[in-house]
Amino acid sequence: MGFGQFLKAPEYDIKIITYRDVFQSTALESSGCGDEYAERSAVILLDKGDMKKMVLKDGRKAVLKNNFGRIVVHLRPSSYEEGHEGIGYMTNSPWSNALVSSETGGSGVPKFKMIKVSISDAKDEKVTSFDE
Amino acid sequence: MEKEYYVCTGCGLLCDDIEIELDGGKVSKVNNACLKGVARLKECNRPAECSIDGAPASLDDAIIEAARILKEADSPVIFGMGNSTSQAQKNAIEVAKRTGAYFDDTSSFCQGPVVEAILEGSIRTCTLDEVKDKADVIVYWGADPSNSHPRHLSKYTYFPRGKERQRGWEEDRTAICIDVRKSDTATICGDKFYQIPPQADEELLNALTNGLSGKVPKVSFGMGPKKILELANMLKKAEFGVICVGLGLVYSLEEIEPLVRLMDKLNEVSNFHLIPMVGQYNMRGSNHNLHEETGYINRVKFTGNDVEHGAHCSVVELLRTRTVDAALIIGSDPMSSLPGSIAKELLDIPVITIDPCNTLTSRKAKVSIPAATAGSECGGTAVRMDGVEVEFKAMTETDRMCDAEILERIMGEL
Ligand code: SF4
Repeated sequence: MGFGQFLKAPEYDIKIITYRDVFQSTALESSGCGDEYAERSAVILLDKGDMKKMVLKDGRKAVLKNNFGRIVVHLRPSSYEEGHEGIGYMTNSPWSNALVSSETGGSGVPKFKMIKVSISDAKDEKVTSFDE
Repeated sequence: MEKEYYVCTGCGLLCDDIEIELDGGKVSKVNNACLKGVARLKECNRPAECSIDGAPASLDDAIIEAARILKEADSPVIFGMGNSTSQAQKNAIEVAKRTGAYFDDTSSFCQGPVVEAILEGSIRTCTLDEVKDKADVIVYWGADPSNSHPRHLSKYTYFPRGKERQRGWEEDRTAICIDVRKSDTATICGDKFYQIPPQADEELLNALTNGLSGKVPKVSFGMGPKKILELANMLKKAEFGVICVGLGLVYSLEEIEPLVRLMDKLNEVSNFHLIPMVGQYNMRGSNHNLHEETGYINRVKFTGNDVEHGAHCSVVELLRTRTVDAALIIGSDPMSSLPGSIAKELLDIPVITIDPCNTLTSRKAKVSIPAATAGSECGGTAVRMDGVEVEFKAMTETDRMCDAEILERIMGEL
């Protein structure tokens, strides 16, 4: 048991933009909310520079949280050529939706596209599952 | 022998050129469809079970229990519809009228405002067949069909040879993408990709309207007037232009007006149309059917002969404000598509689901009723994303009932 686990992982503020991915939506059609869908949904893609700055490593997991929810997802660097500092990409799914604000200003439309969260290393925590 | 073609219900494009092979009464091979379509047309990996309170139940009992819940509720909501046949939608409207229910569909937090503007005549539209035959400038704004509607570009917009566009994408057509990220569609558009910061869509809409009105277009982000004018000019020169509007654009607009103003301006100086990139195969049908019945496309409450309408009747506000005490959810999975902080309210009320597949919502439902999959196991009609009605027939036989029939049975028990 290392001393590190008692230290709180540093947190950084980022914004999440959601997008559609044909392989992920196909997985939803073919496996329901099963493993393949989870593999493709419970992932955040970060700017490479951000990952360095935040000392987050490819293949590890991250805790994403805000006032509306808290989830653990896989962490990967994005393959975009252009930097997107401060912005993480996630496919649209129950994982990203767990972080969407319930404030709508009475409009009936939640703010699905710009989700503010804090991100930190998830250490040994398991990826959040909705498939119980 | 003449070939038989089927329709794919995998998305709002309703591709009508699908060929299938059957093996032992089941779809074993699907040709021409995209990956997503193939997955839709083959059986669900986890079909929904017929259950009451999590225990297996007979279909008759589930239907009686569903009717009881709806009858006893003071304020039920009927929601979903995007993956239902038009007949099922009409039957659901009847159930809503009989039970004095709220009625809303997924367009309420998706393409609703755009479809509404089209049905009211404030935005000019066209069919995808016209786009195929005539369009020379195709704009994808906040849309990534390469992932959401994989055959959009190849079947109708950019790649095909159309009547007046025999040289297809190589010479006859220009595809433009405006988005906050370099999506797969943006990559196809090459140097016609205009990247904008999140929430900057309204600014660019206004700048383009200004540019087309002879004013200097300005935005607060790093896109200079020259670049905006270059884009405006491409739109102006179009012989037949179309803007395909995705959720990225819809979600970033508080109001639809800036888009309506740009469309009006474009039609003063050019020839432009708009098509909403509707996701679910018959969400637009639900808008049309409710509109025909009430004059509204979504978000209504039936009380006697009266129809109430407004944002307060939207599924999101109804759940958020805990206004409803029961929910009938048809072909939709709000537990995964709504924000968790709002969807959780469904856990506190009796929920009835009608769905072919086991979903996060059906698993938590008090009553889960399995339905046949429209498109593969049951036929019907649906309205394509461009407003064209498409008829489809079943590919295989099933002993599961279609959603329309289940709703009719529930109606009979009310
Ligand atoms: S584009 Fe849509 S309708 Fe066409 S095959 Fe794919 S999922 Fe089916």
